Amino acid sequence: MNKTLLGYVPERSPIYAIHPFVKLFFLLVASLFPLFISAPEWNFGLIIFVLLLMLYSRIDMRIMRIYVPVAISMASIIFLAYVVLGGFHPEFAEIGSLLGIRVYWERIRDAIVVYFRILPMIVMMVFFLNTSRERDVIVAMRTLRIPFVVTYVFAMALRSAGMVIEDFGIVRQAEQARGFDTHGKSLPYRLRKYVMYMIPLFALSLRRAEEFSNALIARGFAFTGPASKTKRADYILTHYRFTRLDAVLTALIGLAFAALLVLRYGFGWFTLDRSVFLPWLENLLLHR
Amino acid sequence: MSDISHSPYIEVQRMSYSYPDGTQALRDINLSIDHGEFIALVGQNGSGKTTLSKCLNGLYKPTRGDVIVDGLNTRATSIVQMVRRVGYVFQNPDHQLFSANVWDEIAYGPRNLQLPKDEVKARVEEAAGIVGLTADDFEEHPFFLTKGMRQRVAIASILALQPHAIMVDEPTTGQDIPQSLEIMNFLQHLHDEQGYIIIIITHDMPIVARYAKRVIAMGQGQVLADGPTADVFADSAALAQTFVEPPQITQLAQRSAHLGFDPRALSVEELVQQYLVLRGR
Amino acid sequence: MPPIVEIQNYSWRYLRAEQPALQDINLSIEEGAFVGVIGPNGSGKTTLAYSLNGLIPGQYQGIKEGTVKIAGTEVEAYKPGELPQMVGVVFSDPEAQFTAMTVEDELVFGMENLGLSLAEMRERLDWVTDLTQLKPLLEKPPYEISGGQKQRVALAAVLAMMPRVMVLDEPTSMLDPVSRKRVFDVLARLKRESHNTVIVIEHNLENLVPLADRMILLHNGRVALEGETGGFFRQAATLEQAGVYPPGGIAFFHGLMQRGAYTGEIPLTLDAAVAALEGLMENRRHE
Repeated sequence: MNKTLLGYVPERSPIYAIHPFVKLFFLLVASLFPLFISAPEWNFGLIIFVLLLMLYSRIDMRIMRIYVPVAISMASIIFLAYVVLGGFHPEFAEIGSLLGIRVYWERIRDAIVVYFRILPMIVMMVFFLNTSRERDVIVAMRTLRIPFVVTYVFAMALRSAGMVIEDFGIVRQAEQARGFDTHGKSLPYRLRKYVMYMIPLFALSLRRAEEFSNALIARGFAFTGPASKTKRADYILTHYRFTRLDAVLTALIGLAFAALLVLRYGFGWFTLDRSVFLPWLENLLLHR
Repeated sequence: MSDISHSPYIEVQRMSYSYPDGTQALRDINLSIDHGEFIALVGQNGSGKTTLSKCLNGLYKPTRGDVIVDGLNTRATSIVQMVRRVGYVFQNPDHQLFSANVWDEIAYGPRNLQLPKDEVKARVEEAAGIVGLTADDFEEHPFFLTKGMRQRVAIASILALQPHAIMVDEPTTGQDIPQSLEIMNFLQHLHDEQGYIIIIITHDMPIVARYAKRVIAMGQGQVLADGPTADVFADSAALAQTFVEPPQITQLAQRSAHLGFDPRALSVEELVQQYLVLRGR
Repeated sequence: MPPIVEIQNYSWRYLRAEQPALQDINLSIEEGAFVGVIGPNGSGKTTLAYSLNGLIPGQYQGIKEGTVKIAGTEVEAYKPGELPQMVGVVFSDPEAQFTAMTVEDELVFGMENLGLSLAEMRERLDWVTDLTQLKPLLEKPPYEISGGQKQRVALAAVLAMMPRVMVLDEPTSMLDPVSRKRVFDVLARLKRESHNTVIVIEHNLENLVPLADRMILLHNGRVALEGETGGFFRQAATLEQAGVYPPGGIAFFHGLMQRGAYTGEIPLTLDAAVAALEGLMENRRHE
């Protein structure tokens, strides 16, 4: 099992055969797809596609359970926001009334469209984070010729996250050792108290920061100035080779995006009026 | 504070502990700790000594077996009740200091115990006095104090809970010798004058030799040796299993046993005296 | 050949401090020497270490007097990025000096910063992983290795830059005894196999004393004692006054010396102590 940014992927997963650049490219390009797709059934299909990719990569699908409550709460928020605060046009069709608020079909439709645009993006992000190790992200960024300083700061942010989480566990125990107990206390109380954890975490980070910047200097690293302009040999890239498969996949992704644009703007696919699901739903709600 | 009880203060009965992810950290531990003991818990990293110490004050609950402190089973008792009996001072004071001033920092514990205001005040002043902090120090912001001072504030904040036993994780790591002696002398004072049970978790063998009366050596999640300091230092088989070596002076004595020296020597003075005696002076 | 490290009348006071951290330091260290620097906390050891690689006055504000020269050139005269090639520093916190995502990336980081080619990096990587026995750990991220292993990585990462002077600031203070020994084993091997000048700042003398050719004692910002190791440890009174407690074997012979029962060489290792004791008892029997 290898540890990725959000989880674990078994050693024999096919995802390792792919250059990290391709994974990042997929995330960046495919995340744009939903922006051009209005019909929710297509976006839903996109979600299924990514889930199938996750299955293929041998990710343990049980982790998706964590995201179900997130998906549900997001749906509720979007739904409520649109129903209560959505736009108004005199031709809107009224379905009924809920607690004195008029429920219009158009608002529900808009909520569904927006929701199914956001959801694929999140699923793709989850897919990416679950199949990329920290090093993969760095390699992907360097391949894109992102300046070293930026990739480095990013990498250190990832590392710090791990250290902060570790510190957090210890700080929690230290507070417990002084009688701090959240059992049976209310949520607002707990939230208030958690704020106080920030202080030792902050103090620890500050103390580490000094030694860390000294260590960077001792390694000859400079953020600015002539020393920072040295041509780097990018040793990290030698771990991966960009193969034909990678080139093919990159081309496929690019072509898919081009195809999407052509179908959308040339042939009017994926639009609201071409949707099959929405009229069906409208029919269901308005003509019960 | 000083019960003249005949049953041990802390009893560990057939205790095992496994982490949430399944790894077993402690296996079938049996121990008893009486009032007035000064114990050193030693062993290589990963031997389970830190885990054991956290089981002793209820931070971890055993997955099998029991830990009974002052008659209370840690599994059935709230953390608040436990910390009034066994205090734990963490290795890095920065992990616990978060108040804007020293006074509040020390008062934090008693306030968690929901004690009345004047009781809190009394305890803070007492604890501060024991560690050597003065009224001038109360207004200081802990972040800006020296490492030694921060450690004292951390200890005071535990003393304010008035436990019977105090566990200190690595009291001397990162300190120079005079500072180490200062903190250890202070712990000894707590032990001798105030009657606390003291348990230190440490790698520092000369300190163990000088201050601890009893040593518990852990390895691979089990107790490998448990007894008076000199006895455990003599148990080279057990120590080797956990990569612990006695202090150099004891090693010198052990390797000079054939010359007539007592291999159980714990201090330089002892060995020097032996030499002078052997030389007939 | 000028000494590789030459410090003359050097004083440094941190900006908001009342007292100087270092006063009137005069030291010269020959290339290839293995030097130990000891003294109580606050005596200026870390300040000295930072003065050698330019962190002082580069990163810290304060007032400097006197000169600190590495290979004949003043520390401030080096262009940015040149000094780390001459003087490498290993710090005491294994966590805070791990600057990359895996062990291999860490070892390569410094070399990349210097602009070395891939071929050169691979060669040095080979050498350094062999010296420090890190080959099995190359792919591991920092959170999967112990503190001791991290310190060996730090040591290797600095060595890979091939500085002429290696300064180690309390490299083992946060480590357990086993890890401590392993770090010193690497230093011992380094001493045997290469010409680096090594300066180790330590509290734990047991491992340092057998390796050091020379010792320097700092106390209250001044050099209180300095010299070849054997002679250095004869000065029991000065050491005690400065709060230095030598390892058991040495302390034992100090005890004998104080009582006039011993006048010979101070044994610097446990083996030497046992041998010396045997020698003493032999002599006694023959009297």
